[in-house]
Amino acid sequence: MKSTLTRRHMLKLASTSAAALIAAPSMLRADANYPSRPINVIVPFKAGGYNDRLARAFAPFLQEKLGQPVNIINKGGAGALLGHSYFLQQPDDGYTILCTSAAPYLPLNVLLQDAPFKVSDFQMINLPSQDYTLLATSKDSGITSIDDVIARLKADNTSLSIGLQPASADLVNLMLLMDMSGISREGLRLVTFDGGGPARNAVAGNVVDIALVGGQGFLPLVEQITPLLTFDTEVQDGWGGKLITDLGGADAAFVYGSQRGWAVHSSMMTSNPDVYAKITTAIEAASKDPATIEALTSQQLATQWRGPEASNKALADTSKVMAQYVDLLKGA
Amino acid sequence: MIDFGALDAAFALLSSSWTAWVFVLPGLIIGLFFGAMPGISITMAMAIFLPMTLYMDFLPAIIFLTAIYTGAGFGGSVPAVLMNIPGTSSALATTFDGYPMARQGRHNEALGLALTASVLGCLASYILLLVLIAPVSHVVLKMGPLELFVIAVWGLLLLGSLSGNSLPRGLLAGVFGVLLGTIGMNTAGFIRGTMGVPWLLDGIPTIPAMMGLLAASQLLGLINTSYLIEDEGLRKISMPKILSGVKMAVKEPKIIIRGTLIGVIVGSIPGVGSSISNLLSYSEAQRTSDDGESFGKGNPKGVIAAEAANSSSEGGAMATMLALGIPGGGATAILLAAFAMHNIVGGPSFIAQNKDIVYAIIFSNFAQAMLLFFVGLGFVYLAGYVVRVPLRFLIPSVLVVSVFGSYAIDGSASGPITLAVFSVLGWAMVRYDYPVAATVVGLLLGRLLEGNLLRSYQVSGGKLSYALERPGALFILALLVLSIVLSVISRARKKRRLSVRDAAES
Repeated sequence: MKSTLTRRHMLKLASTSAAALIAAPSMLRADANYPSRPINVIVPFKAGGYNDRLARAFAPFLQEKLGQPVNIINKGGAGALLGHSYFLQQPDDGYTILCTSAAPYLPLNVLLQDAPFKVSDFQMINLPSQDYTLLATSKDSGITSIDDVIARLKADNTSLSIGLQPASADLVNLMLLMDMSGISREGLRLVTFDGGGPARNAVAGNVVDIALVGGQGFLPLVEQITPLLTFDTEVQDGWGGKLITDLGGADAAFVYGSQRGWAVHSSMMTSNPDVYAKITTAIEAASKDPATIEALTSQQLATQWRGPEASNKALADTSKVMAQYVDLLKGA
Repeated sequence: MIDFGALDAAFALLSSSWTAWVFVLPGLIIGLFFGAMPGISITMAMAIFLPMTLYMDFLPAIIFLTAIYTGAGFGGSVPAVLMNIPGTSSALATTFDGYPMARQGRHNEALGLALTASVLGCLASYILLLVLIAPVSHVVLKMGPLELFVIAVWGLLLLGSLSGNSLPRGLLAGVFGVLLGTIGMNTAGFIRGTMGVPWLLDGIPTIPAMMGLLAASQLLGLINTSYLIEDEGLRKISMPKILSGVKMAVKEPKIIIRGTLIGVIVGSIPGVGSSISNLLSYSEAQRTSDDGESFGKGNPKGVIAAEAANSSSEGGAMATMLALGIPGGGATAILLAAFAMHNIVGGPSFIAQNKDIVYAIIFSNFAQAMLLFFVGLGFVYLAGYVVRVPLRFLIPSVLVVSVFGSYAIDGSASGPITLAVFSVLGWAMVRYDYPVAATVVGLLLGRLLEGNLLRSYQVSGGKLSYALERPGALFILALLVLSIVLSVISRARKKRRLSVRDAAES
């Protein structure tokens, strides 16, 4: 009895120390030789969307710079809440990075969905894609200009049906436009869709009179729609129509749409600063590589290098504006 | 409508290089295998192999992916017939008659029927696509919320035929399903019934729920049986019998054509697709058949109707994708991603400039459908051996595969948990004689019904006169009413004929 106990004791001791021996150097190695194994990229959306396409198109160039294979993992659902939470649950050792629509989804998760995290838990490395709201109508609608839209809504604000996504930057932009034009928000005929795609299809088919949706996604439908108003300070993607600054002057109030790109855990900046530096360098190098730029541009994907500082600031600004309009975002 | 110059160029494209063809067979086999695995959707099978296509040329890449699409479209029917598990949600209606046929020892015929109806439906849908690609794409964008709502209501008619002996129980089960379908965040951004569980924000995961309700409940009920087919003499795997199923299917061109039309039209509408079309086609076949009352008890026509519609939806979805650059569902989204990988953007300009490629894709799909017939014969022959496996081995293995499959959907435990909850629910419903299939139909249609009813209300501002501005919706509604009236009349006439005959005989 006594001998077995001792033996068990010895075994336990031996195995623990063996485990410690094996584990300790590997932990050290992980820091110094990062990356020593494949890296996972979490995309908190289902396959086929913008982030998924961006991640898959960028991955070959990123893995070239990092020297390790990059795997894309889709964790879609609940407006990216599930994917974002899953990402934060992974260790901040640099073997899991995130490719997401940071705005509007991170602020929306926090403002509306009781997310178990703060926007500042995520450190943006680069947000190359900055989408904008486009107000468009069908080619067959008979509406020709934004002034026409405003005149009709001024006469009767129920005269046009307006397609958009609930709880979106597009909705905030619509309300800002209504305020600017002196049109009552009450009673507008809002038609809410479960995604940007369905809302764009609806306006292209003249099912709704006008729609406000992210502009980049309208590109395949260019032959079915008439662009009326771009919510940006400069012309984007060659759309015609007016700019919001043409209507409201240089300081016209509006918010940007989706800001998409690459992020890591904020905690990594203190826990693994070397790894953080390596990832940032690799993403910067891959973004600026002419081969990357050529491949991504031809797929209508953004690759501009904005860097951590500008990207985090852009996200923080959008989060602040969205927090101001939180009442608007809650249930249309 | 057909550009013969481009047609010629398409043949040249396809015959110039063997690489376009070499991927068809592996694609079909991959599709069949993945489609037959419960829980692995067509989309997932295609997504897994998408990265491989990066290293292929454009045309072989698309042909490989569409071969997986075609294979998986039929693959889902095999477990639907043999185990009452729709491998994909589009094979739901196949279980209604396919599984009863299998239990009666007619599994060979059922599989032959399903294969043939699939192949013919797929072929016919691509022929339609060849001619109709432009007009279909115009109609698709005009489909508003009211039109989609009417289509969903049409789907609900199926509840009547799934109710078995008690209509109130069937309706109750159906309404329960619709209510379950409304759980999650609705289209206006309101969150209902999630009990604070974030995994429910997108609604109850339908595939695990469906597997639990239909399959697990069924399997638990079989626990005291030793084989799927009780009569040992019928537990045979026979090619002649599979081929007799093929013959039966060929003899029902009306059902196949109607199924194909429903499949192409419904399949081309983004966000609706094959999971609804098979229900509509089944319900129409049931209502218009002379022997409608034997549907659900192993009527071959039910299998034909369901399979013709779900496989022809592929052609419809491809029409929308090619003509408009809009993905109708997950599978076509993957195809568009493959387009993007080769720096090609789908949409009207793509068709206008690359008619030869479009025709080449269509022709290679003809070939795929025909090849599917032969590959499928081999596949169902082997799959048929399931009926010889004693249930004490089969039940646990199917349950284990289902758990894995439901985990694979999102890669989280929400799938297996849903499966477990709905298995218990399904078992209880069967125990107390409520039709589980009605709940599944409600669950599948719930979201479509609610979202589109809400949007119709939003677009119209609550004015009923809006319906008059939507001739499309009125047309579908008229078709729906006509179909009901005709079936009532034909049933009444048959009854009268029977009673006259009875009177004459007596």
